[in-house]
Amino acid sequence: MSSPTPTITINGVRRPFSPGQTILQVANAAGVEVPQYCYHDGLSVVASCRICLCEVWSPNPRTGALEPFMGGKLVPSCQQTASDGMVVHTDSPKAVANQKAVMEYLLINHPLDCPVCDQSGECFLQDYSYQYGRGVSRFQEEKVKQPKKDLGNHVLLYSDRCIMCTRCVRFTREVTGTGELMVMGRGNKEEIDVFPGIPINNELSGNVIDLCPVGALLDKDFLFQQRVWYLKETPSIDPITASGDNIWIHHNEGKIHRVKPRENPRVNKWWITDEVRYGWKFVHSADRLGAPARKQYGYPAQSDFPRAYEIAVAGLRRAVEDGGRVALLASPMIACEEAYLLAQVVREIDREAVLAVGPVPVKGSDRVYPPGASEDDPRAFKVHAEKAPNARGVRRVLEALAGPGQVLDFEAFLRAMGKGTGSSGVRAALVTGNYPSAWTTPELLGCLGGKFIVAIDTLAGPHVDAADISLPAATFAEKSGTFENARGMIQSFERALTAFEGARPEGQIAFDLLHLIACGGEYERAGATRPEVYDAADIRSRMAAEHETLGVFASAVGHPAPRPQARPDMRLVEI
Amino acid sequence: MNKSASQLGSRKAGKESSRGTPARDAPIGNGPRLARVRISVSRPRLSHGTLETRKKHRGARRVRLIPDARKARPTLGTAMSYTLKAGQPILTKRIPCWPFADPKGRHVVSYDEYVRSGGYEGLRKALSMKPDSVTEEVKKSVLRGRGGAGFPTGLKWTFLPKLTTDESGVEADPGARYLAINADESEPGTFKDRLLMDFDPHLVLEGIAICCYACRIRTAFIFIRGEYHHQAHVLETAIKEAYENGIFGGKGLLGGTATGRGGPFAVECHVHRGAGAYICGEETALLEALEGKRGWPRIKPPFPAIKGLFGRPTIINNVETVAHLPSIVEHGSEWFTRQGVASTFPNGMASYGTKLMGVSGHVNRPGCYECDLGIPLRTLVEEHCQGMRGGKKFKGAIAGGISMGILGPDQYEAEMDFDIGRKHNVLGLGTACPTVFDQDTDMVAVARNIARFFKHESCGQCTPCREGSGWLYQLLGRIEEGHGRTKDLDLTLEIATSMGSMPGTTICGLADGNNWAVRTIINKYRAEFEARVRPTFVPIRMTVGAMAKG
Ligand SMILES: Cc1cc2nc3c(=O)[nH]c(=O)nc-3n(C[C@H](O)[C@H](O)[C@H](O)COP(=O)(O)O)c2cc1C
Ligand code: SF4
Ligand code: SF4
Ligand code: FES
Repeated sequence: MSSPTPTITINGVRRPFSPGQTILQVANAAGVEVPQYCYHDGLSVVASCRICLCEVWSPNPRTGALEPFMGGKLVPSCQQTASDGMVVHTDSPKAVANQKAVMEYLLINHPLDCPVCDQSGECFLQDYSYQYGRGVSRFQEEKVKQPKKDLGNHVLLYSDRCIMCTRCVRFTREVTGTGELMVMGRGNKEEIDVFPGIPINNELSGNVIDLCPVGALLDKDFLFQQRVWYLKETPSIDPITASGDNIWIHHNEGKIHRVKPRENPRVNKWWITDEVRYGWKFVHSADRLGAPARKQYGYPAQSDFPRAYEIAVAGLRRAVEDGGRVALLASPMIACEEAYLLAQVVREIDREAVLAVGPVPVKGSDRVYPPGASEDDPRAFKVHAEKAPNARGVRRVLEALAGPGQVLDFEAFLRAMGKGTGSSGVRAALVTGNYPSAWTTPELLGCLGGKFIVAIDTLAGPHVDAADISLPAATFAEKSGTFENARGMIQSFERALTAFEGARPEGQIAFDLLHLIACGGEYERAGATRPEVYDAADIRSRMAAEHETLGVFASAVGHPAPRPQARPDMRLVEI
Repeated sequence: MNKSASQLGSRKAGKESSRGTPARDAPIGNGPRLARVRISVSRPRLSHGTLETRKKHRGARRVRLIPDARKARPTLGTAMSYTLKAGQPILTKRIPCWPFADPKGRHVVSYDEYVRSGGYEGLRKALSMKPDSVTEEVKKSVLRGRGGAGFPTGLKWTFLPKLTTDESGVEADPGARYLAINADESEPGTFKDRLLMDFDPHLVLEGIAICCYACRIRTAFIFIRGEYHHQAHVLETAIKEAYENGIFGGKGLLGGTATGRGGPFAVECHVHRGAGAYICGEETALLEALEGKRGWPRIKPPFPAIKGLFGRPTIINNVETVAHLPSIVEHGSEWFTRQGVASTFPNGMASYGTKLMGVSGHVNRPGCYECDLGIPLRTLVEEHCQGMRGGKKFKGAIAGGISMGILGPDQYEAEMDFDIGRKHNVLGLGTACPTVFDQDTDMVAVARNIARFFKHESCGQCTPCREGSGWLYQLLGRIEEGHGRTKDLDLTLEIATSMGSMPGTTICGLADGNNWAVRTIINKYRAEFEARVRPTFVPIRMTVGAMAKG
């Protein structure tokens, strides 16, 4: 009877499983839809919503004949571990009757809020009531009315929409360990609540919003912003910390509306920090640079790309002709591919250009959730103190070009620029930023003085004003590329938005400059041919081909898993 | 035209009906028209009718089998004819109870009085036996849990993880294991554990000590419902006495008599007061509550005997269950099996021993009585309770705590033993504390009131119980007020059924209790419910005229 790999049969199809998996996990992995509310891969099993119940038959250990499991009781598939030879029906009359009953119960006290509910369109209650519910309500009595509550800085609760799956409560107990949320009351008067005076403000609080299968927990930031079916989603990588959290950017008409975690068991599991969740705001900042500028009479004056490029190339060249060096300060906020191209620009002008990595902000110390868990625990979630997504990637690329140990960190860069003294061999520098907030330090400003500076950045700042040429760059959402996180994982991200009007990705700027240099530095002459178009995947293969040490960019880049396709809910018949 | 016709029809109908002929709409014209046909949309009664009659007959035959019960044809005011098979009360040995003694003489039995009247002899005997032989003795006695489910206690104890022994036969240290005594007596109409805790706390403590010895448990918790202030106080005083006299605490059971691994086997006993929730009586919710959490039943497996309180093996027993232990150990299992009755089902589990039965409701002398299991309800009511109040007729009785469902008017002869569930279409014996209703009781109100209780006590974890209990209450409330329709009755039955009777739909048995209570009341008193609701009318289009003539 038993085969080498144990299998169970779900709705007539045999599925292999690994011992210890529950029936629901096997079904989920096999893509068989079993309705589920309270179950979540990252949380403990409570089996309280009771919609996942299924009919199970199992072979009698002695005779091998199939017998109703547990005396024919309906079995919670999220709780029951699979055992070899089990036959599971999630669509038997008994199981379906239960699904219908549970759906009806969940809806009797649920307000008819869908038209004004943010969750509408991505709501489990909607989906399941469409698939498993009955079309009409038989409930004529008064619904239980419950209040709206402000639970914390980001989280709003519409109690009457809650289906009491307790995912949110379990999250604050089992993942953050802070336990702010609780269940209050009994029976159908039950409500989720916080302890008086202790709002839910932990650094992972936003995840409870994602966990909520219905529209009970809502994001204040996203409240009434968009109907979710207008949102487009693009897979991306956390742009502001070193953890490399996988995210979805949800955007519409050129505007980001929210960021959601993208499940990745090797990186961020199911979660992201609030810092990452709300860290995209700089993309739409009022301080975004929208046009190149050049310094005229000591003040920046708006320019255009051709002129700015010409002046930039000329300025950098002059520095070399005058016997000085050119430096590149490659920010840890830009993609690996862009760092590679920018380094080529400066090395095209100065073979021995100084290559440096920009400042890597650090805030606090690393933290692992749940508190006390080891970092390698399959459920552990780590928050990194390092607040830059790509310090390692940028260094890796620059070192491949300049040789190991030849790439300066920010302190060394400042010294090379003649910090304090102002005198050094470096006469010109290409400085990139792309930080989510102002980052210019007095030291930086001090040693930029007297040199020819080309600043490529997204937000206005003192060093941009002080630069001879400033070029507006594009944020992570407006380009593709790769980031290498703190654990050395290189992950690619895709472009969600077209670049902010007037801005260009650093990679494109680098290509433009390379083209101009190749054409002798004169825009008029260069105009006859076109620069290459920045495409991260192309550059990755070029990097891998040109430098052995960059082979990882061909072999070891983590790409976003394709989004599972929605299945049609119609039964397809062969014709 | 149609409208005026129907008005005419109705006027005519009025006249006709006053003459006693049935109302009919006068057909006008030959075209198709709407006729009002009165249809009561109700499912055919669930087959209980026939089933119950069959069972009733079997039950009646069964009555003849018990000579005592037959002899005891009650007449109000006659002298007691019912005696206990053991000859004298066992659990209520020190608590005066009708019909053996006047309850006026009740008082808290102190340690000294308890010992003087033969107390702690069972424990003494147990300590002279091997722990496993004590368990074996309890197993042989087929003592079944008195908390509601009737699970055999000895068997439950054997579910604890087995202890390994070394070459010299010394058992390994079991580590922390717990005993939790369920004193959360919150089932409406149940007041039997209370009697023991009120007056004879040491009987319970002795049972606890025996259980702890048999199962190698070093810590016992008594989880007592929050409303039992006085009882908690009595227990605490008794525990203090027990500590002072070496039953519990440092020196070991009975001051060092019992030796466990590495010295005397000492048991600690604590009282934990609940915060007032019925659900905390469910064994796993009780464990959660003991741990200081919200009383939410846990999913099983793992069962408490494997992973219970604080993640350690735990035995949960009812107060009355452990109160039986001293006498079982003292007199032996054979003595115990002479009381009560064997099962009438082939291979059925027996209902041995006596049981405290707290009778409430419309009887002349409500109270808690100790009876042999198997006593017919009629004997209990007519003799012990001196009959129905005001000489009224028996209408029904909640079998044993409202979760069990109701015994109908034709089930007065039901024997109060663990077979009652299978025989009389109730969930089980439960706590064996019946609430009796007389002929004037409004069963719709009873159902509504019961639904209210369950709605209020549902812990709110499982969707069907949380939402279904509220809905049931609302529906029954509406039906009681006369705003229901026939289809509401069917809906009520359907909700009750999908909530619990389909096994496994909820985590704990509360939903089952709700379902059984409401469902059996509606089914057994269907006529009363139907009289309260308005019929559902369904418009039917029909053709009269040429086609009809053909
Ligand atoms: C909803 C619910 C409430 C219960 N309440 C009580 C109670 O108040 N007292 C009690 O002894 N058992 C109660 N029980 C039964 C316990 O779960 C358990 O079966 C019992 O304590 C086991 O002890 P026993 O084997 O000695 O009967 C309840 C069960 C359920 C499902
Ligand atoms: S608020 Fe949402 S996540 Fe929390 S219990 Fe309710 S439905 Fe579940
Ligand atoms: S059945 Fe009811 S009382 Fe029991 S666990 Fe579920 S919700 Fe709670
Ligand atoms: S998913 Fe299994 S009970 Fe909720």
